[in-house]
Amino acid sequence: MQRRDPGAPVMCRKSPGIVVSKQLLRERLPYRPLWWRLLRGTEAFAYVLMAPAILTIAVVVLYPTLTAIDISFRRVDIYTPGSARGPFTLTNYARLFGSTAFWQSVQVTLSYMVISVAFALLIGFGTAILLHQRFRGRTLARMMAVLPWAIPPVVAANIWWWILDPSFGLLNWVLLKVGLIKEPVNWIISPGPALAAVSMVTVWKGYPFFVVMTLAGLQAIPQDLYDSAAVDGAGRLAAFLHITLPALRQILALATLLTVMWVFREFAIIWVLTGGGPMRATETLAIMTYTEAFAHFRMGVGAAVGVVTLVISTIASIIFIRQSRKEFY
Amino acid sequence: MKRQVHRAMLYILVTLVVGVLFFPVYWMLNTSLAAHDQLYVYPPRFVHPNPTLAAYVKVFRERPMVRWLLNSLIVALLSTGFSLAISVLAGYSLSRYRVWGSESLGYLLLASRMLPGTLLVIPLFVFMSKLRLVNTLWSVTIANITFVVPFATWMLKGYFDSIPRELEEAAYIDGASRLGALVRVTLPLSSPGLAATALYSAILAWDEYLFARTFLTTNSVWTISVGLGSFRGEYITFWNEVMAASLIGTVPIIFMFLLLERHLISGLTAGAVK
Repeated sequence: MQRRDPGAPVMCRKSPGIVVSKQLLRERLPYRPLWWRLLRGTEAFAYVLMAPAILTIAVVVLYPTLTAIDISFRRVDIYTPGSARGPFTLTNYARLFGSTAFWQSVQVTLSYMVISVAFALLIGFGTAILLHQRFRGRTLARMMAVLPWAIPPVVAANIWWWILDPSFGLLNWVLLKVGLIKEPVNWIISPGPALAAVSMVTVWKGYPFFVVMTLAGLQAIPQDLYDSAAVDGAGRLAAFLHITLPALRQILALATLLTVMWVFREFAIIWVLTGGGPMRATETLAIMTYTEAFAHFRMGVGAAVGVVTLVISTIASIIFIRQSRKEFY
Repeated sequence: MKRQVHRAMLYILVTLVVGVLFFPVYWMLNTSLAAHDQLYVYPPRFVHPNPTLAAYVKVFRERPMVRWLLNSLIVALLSTGFSLAISVLAGYSLSRYRVWGSESLGYLLLASRMLPGTLLVIPLFVFMSKLRLVNTLWSVTIANITFVVPFATWMLKGYFDSIPRELEEAAYIDGASRLGALVRVTLPLSSPGLAATALYSAILAWDEYLFARTFLTTNSVWTISVGLGSFRGEYITFWNEVMAASLIGTVPIIFMFLLLERHLISGLTAGAVK
């Protein structure tokens, strides 16, 4: 929040027509010395309530994050706290930005995100439109369509690992039967299909969120809009294009942004299904952070990749906060 | 006539779409009921002629499933308990008071929620080994707090926002203290919200894989999600066992999900729609 000049007129929130001076408002409060406000007053109570949360976040989130940033600037393979810190160095970042693996990982992350989010959006939106119609058993159908959201990511990876099995898996059987492929695809062992496989599971876990959000958005559109459009002679398609879509624009943008950030950080699905392989074909930045630190035992490099993801997600968070302020306040 | 055709088409479309989307869950159930000699058959069987619970028996006999489930339950309860105790207070403060720093705390919590876990796990692992907490359930509980507290605080703030302030003011007039008003008036009124937040937090903790996989190295302290992730990389895969174990690990979540259904949206968007 930007600071305002204390004497500047402000709008009275309850009746927006009335403009009062903030100075005036303040003068009506009884004067309390600073110590009183800090120890006894409402403000003190507000701070006491916040204290456990602030303390917790400081200890388990902020301090570790700062440590991780620190590790990324040291030559560390396996970091032990208390041991003498190495000198400040940019080696990890130099090694990272000079390696092809990093840039390949950036590329993998981008394709994985775009494919997964786009399909989740399309499938989720379409399903929601369908389930918004009136029919018998609608509640059950909605429950069944949203259920994948509740399946633990590791379980989702296991189910799809079985469906994608090259010899006895269901997907290859269906695709062969329909004639889309001529011979079984080695989903998890060959690079291109592996990325597709990982995206499939992500889409399956991610589309229910779009269903729930779209349904909520659809319910909020007043029926009058459609009635008056019908009076004006608009067809169903026109009503969809000019009423439904604009009304859902905000909620879909929000859902997309949240899903993008979820996919960006996704670990369990990829790790269980492919472990980042084959030949780094599914190694997103999140997976690379982990592999460098815990499989190759190069915590410095791992932390450097992690800091890159931190910067990206911070930028996304800022965009997100700006956007949600603009659209939802 | 045209209307009936329309209806029929709608039902066919719904069955088709929901059928395909739901199919993997059915496939898990179907495979878990297959006998060993039914696994490697071509074409795949959509309904097994003689379903058996053999895979379930084998999974429980050969792996410490009960231990894993129990560990997950402990972690879920502890993470939810601690987080809720912290979040109820913070959520209430954010909802009712606007002091210097409230807004920053709100954004700090949002940012923590968006933090990549793969970055956080590196320093946390270092601290956990320093504190000799590796291979204990405490390590996972503490790590879970990093994402459950931000989430629960925002979700609870939303619920507190929906409870009118006037009720607390009435309590003040009757002589209640600030804390008294919170404990005796606001909390009882927001019990559905509290329950939903608790359920949601428990689901998050139950599903957690990254921290548990990293901090818990011997299989007697694994949580169920680590156990379920361990089938990969074994020499031979018996799909009926993988699916039986996965189904067992999912049942508690599905149960919680059904209880939560009405509150789903407030949880999914906690902190997003203000």
